[in-house]
Amino acid sequence: MRAALRAEWTKLRTVAGPRRLLLGMIVATVALGAAAASVVTCESAGCGGDPVRFGLIGVMLGQAPAAVLGVLVIGGEYGSGMIRTTLTAMPRRVTAFAAKAVALAGVVAVAGTVAVLGSLLAGRLLLPRHGFTAAHGHRALSLADGPTLRAVVGSILYLTLIALLSLGVAAVVRSSAAGIGIVLGLLYLLPVLTQAIGDPHWQRRLEQIAPMSAGLAVQATTDLRLLPLQPWAGLAVTAGWAAAALAAGALLLRVRDA
Amino acid sequence: MTGFAELLNAEWTKFRTVLGWVTGMAVAALLVVLVALLAGISSDQQGSGPAPTGPGGEPVTDSFYFVHRPLTGDGSVTVTVSALESSVPTGLDGVRPGVVPWAKAGLIVRQSTRQGSPYAAIMVTGDHGVRMQHDYVNDTAGPAGPVRLLRLVRSGDTITGYASADGTAWTTVGSARLRLGPTAQGGLFVASPQAVEGLGTTSSVSTAAFRDLRLQGGWAGGEWTGEQLGAGSPSFAGYPADTSGSFAESGGGLTVTGAGDLAPAVRYSLPTAGTLGNLLTGTFAALIAVIVVGALFITTEHRTGLIHVTLAAGPGRGRVLLAKAIVLGSVAFVAGLAGTVVAVPLGVRLARAHGVYIFPVSASTGLRVAVGTAALLAAASVLALAVGAVVRSSAAAVTTVIVAFVLPYLLVANPFMPAGAAAWLTRVTPAAAFAVQQTLVKYPQVANPYTPYNDYYPLAPWAGLAVLAGYAAAGLAVAAVVLRRRDA
Amino acid sequence: MSPIQGIVVAGLRKRYGATLALDGMSFTVRPGVVTGFVGPNGAGKSTTMRVILGLDAVDEGIALIGGRRYRGLRHPLKHVGSLLDAAAPHPGRSGRNHLLWLAHSQGLAARRVDRVIEQVGLGPAARRGAGGYSLGMRQRLGIAAALLGDPPIIMLDEPFNGMDPDGIIWMRGLLRSLAADGRAVLVSSHLMSEVQDTADHLVVAGRGRAIADAGVADLIAACSGGRVVLRTTAGADATRVLARAGATVAATGRDTVTVSGMPADRIVALLGAGAVPFSEVSAHRATLEDVYLELTREAVEFRAATPTEVTR
Repeated sequence: MRAALRAEWTKLRTVAGPRRLLLGMIVATVALGAAAASVVTCESAGCGGDPVRFGLIGVMLGQAPAAVLGVLVIGGEYGSGMIRTTLTAMPRRVTAFAAKAVALAGVVAVAGTVAVLGSLLAGRLLLPRHGFTAAHGHRALSLADGPTLRAVVGSILYLTLIALLSLGVAAVVRSSAAGIGIVLGLLYLLPVLTQAIGDPHWQRRLEQIAPMSAGLAVQATTDLRLLPLQPWAGLAVTAGWAAAALAAGALLLRVRDA
Repeated sequence: MTGFAELLNAEWTKFRTVLGWVTGMAVAALLVVLVALLAGISSDQQGSGPAPTGPGGEPVTDSFYFVHRPLTGDGSVTVTVSALESSVPTGLDGVRPGVVPWAKAGLIVRQSTRQGSPYAAIMVTGDHGVRMQHDYVNDTAGPAGPVRLLRLVRSGDTITGYASADGTAWTTVGSARLRLGPTAQGGLFVASPQAVEGLGTTSSVSTAAFRDLRLQGGWAGGEWTGEQLGAGSPSFAGYPADTSGSFAESGGGLTVTGAGDLAPAVRYSLPTAGTLGNLLTGTFAALIAVIVVGALFITTEHRTGLIHVTLAAGPGRGRVLLAKAIVLGSVAFVAGLAGTVVAVPLGVRLARAHGVYIFPVSASTGLRVAVGTAALLAAASVLALAVGAVVRSSAAAVTTVIVAFVLPYLLVANPFMPAGAAAWLTRVTPAAAFAVQQTLVKYPQVANPYTPYNDYYPLAPWAGLAVLAGYAAAGLAVAAVVLRRRDA
Repeated sequence: MSPIQGIVVAGLRKRYGATLALDGMSFTVRPGVVTGFVGPNGAGKSTTMRVILGLDAVDEGIALIGGRRYRGLRHPLKHVGSLLDAAAPHPGRSGRNHLLWLAHSQGLAARRVDRVIEQVGLGPAARRGAGGYSLGMRQRLGIAAALLGDPPIIMLDEPFNGMDPDGIIWMRGLLRSLAADGRAVLVSSHLMSEVQDTADHLVVAGRGRAIADAGVADLIAACSGGRVVLRTTAGADATRVLARAGATVAATGRDTVTVSGMPADRIVALLGAGAVPFSEVSAHRATLEDVYLELTREAVEFRAATPTEVTR
């Protein structure tokens, strides 16, 4: 496993793609967060919302490059045929796949930490200028605050889980384009479809099982009572999706011809 | 040089012989239909009655406090509105004074007390001065300044409204021809529509003081009848807690308290109603499918080296790209149209069968939604093709285009997003194209959060689609330049 | 020399839908010799190699590397080095880095990478992105990967593809030297001419099985059948003299006849006695090409229509 991990790490660092995608993830997350924080006004939002969640809104965009990276880590090898070289060098396929997952999770977690902390800093600097002040009952965003810390750690884990989910899906479909289509469908489409559902009971059920709506509950710091799912439970749903995708990917990788 | 028709034929052969791409397009059409089915059957609004319909056939709000008596033949009524005050709920207990810009108090003559009956009314409003309105959708502004005297005159089927500041100089505000029948109902009314607060609305109640009420002509004698019209209508949000409609006579004056509105129904007056756009939510799912196919149509060639063969067979690179775009766009358009022409009637029928009110549309609007949605899918696939030609990675191309569509939509749905930012997002991003599915009409005389989230787009339907078409065209141009400069 | 040290392939059977890709493929690859693995396209050569490498599973049969299954090997590249047909490094990764991750996966040091780069003559190109490599350079990179773990077994699928004449000569030398080191070398090709000067032993594949598994010399001898080629301007006289003595004679050229059923010295004696002029008497040597065509004639799946069939 150590040798496989080292090999996968070498693969990740010796091409420009992963570096660019991770950089893209950081830029996308921080930029959207900062842009949103600079257009919002406390009045327009009724001052009653959740500034932490709003400050970390960039994760909704930053997950896209994370998903692309997750898909490409294995989908790219299927595309070029290098998967055969990989499996020839590391014929214990589940070990090789696990090494990919660990290496991917590692780099996404590190870049995700930068991205999420950057967003939080942008929110801390920008939101008070737009009326999210102590006078309206909002303290500046700070890691010293328990729920905020949970939202930050949860967001980093969320980005990591999305990358792993993508890896699993790509291993199942063995195509980058189909893989990314399915992952983005799962992430972005389910919340949109939720709005088409008329029955509130179904709607809530969908919000509880959709990987993005459920997982981002971990960012909530106010009105926890009203959430369809509690923060950690929500992230656990996303983790379940990632685990299921990885398990399916590992199983198929093991039994199928390369 | 190969003839362009041959180039098109070659690209079409290439497209139709890859099973995955043909399947992808079929899946796109299917998703549009399936989601419409899902949206249709998942709704369960049994029990809420149908919204009243105005003389023009549109859904309306016809709920207000009406103090009336019969009027047979011609006649007139004059009154002074000495005060109009509104209140909105304060959290959980009671109400506080507030501004309700479209609170209405004044005179009205209508065919009957039936819901959706034709009417004409002159009124003072909370913040929009004197207005003459008739048949729910028509609104005329009266003279500016502190005008408090109102008069409504019936002459046959014509109702004319007048306003005056001093009781001597009268200004004609407007007139309307209505089908009234021999005996109409007329008198005083107070309405207090929902007020927009933040991104939502809140119910309100308003009280008006009337004095110097004078009747002339064929008015019946006896007592005034006071009642809340349309109390059970689905487009009536009700009174704030612990308040109710009433009227009282005292010292030659009348005090009337009422809630509700006389207006065309909008999103917030019919929150459970659906639109064609809602039924076509499957467009998002179909988008992902056509974007994946669009990107693969070009990136596969780069990956497998087929592009060398393609370029050798048709060396004009810009022409090759154009041929690809035409083939791809046509297939996506046909698939999209097949999906929408099935999905719309099916979804509407199912939703209605489940008791959901669907905002009615004219046949031409329905056609525009169906064709426009197909065009949206076609343009999106071409955009994916162009991005794919530039970035040469299917995953990156698919992600870029999907995010460009879906992210604005999700951001717009964020309750924090100010209306200005939301409008901007649906004006300049490819998501602007969803305006082509818009069927709701904005009424300036109705306060409502006219945001994209509530199915009101800032751009006109075809203008929105043009934004996306612009992106696709620009993308193709860039791709053609890049393809020409770069080694294949 | 125990076969356990090389590759043992026994009774491989594999079906892809309606196509039987492997139908009882069996052979062994011994150390110290170059084994050529030849056969027409679609005969099952690549599938067999993929099965040996654990990439494809079989319905029946077994393939062993040094007596062990490939998937059970801890550092497989130290046991067998391989080059598959479509060895595609990431276009953005340099050749050296491609070898580096492979080395890391086997617990090998970067030193080893530089050693094999030198060995295959990739030189400074190794530090450039593999996307810009020619087919020949990609093949050299693939060979480098195969040599990386210094394995006792080398298995190369169509290594001559895309190589220039210099490259082909280099490849032949490399294969011979690898075998001389005592390694088992298996080289596949669909062109007999590519392996005939290199291989000591041949496995001829056709329709999913080994239709011949023998030494190159034995195969040729078996197909030559003791015939003698006679060069003479008096073909008719020669035929008459030799046929009368019991030989079977066939004219095979303008001034050559092929004689079978009679040793060369007896032919010379008879012709001398009969005063028939001749310029050369030589033993007929079938080329590997002949052998190959003979063996695979039945096994070719997609044979081109012969010209007569087309014009008819």
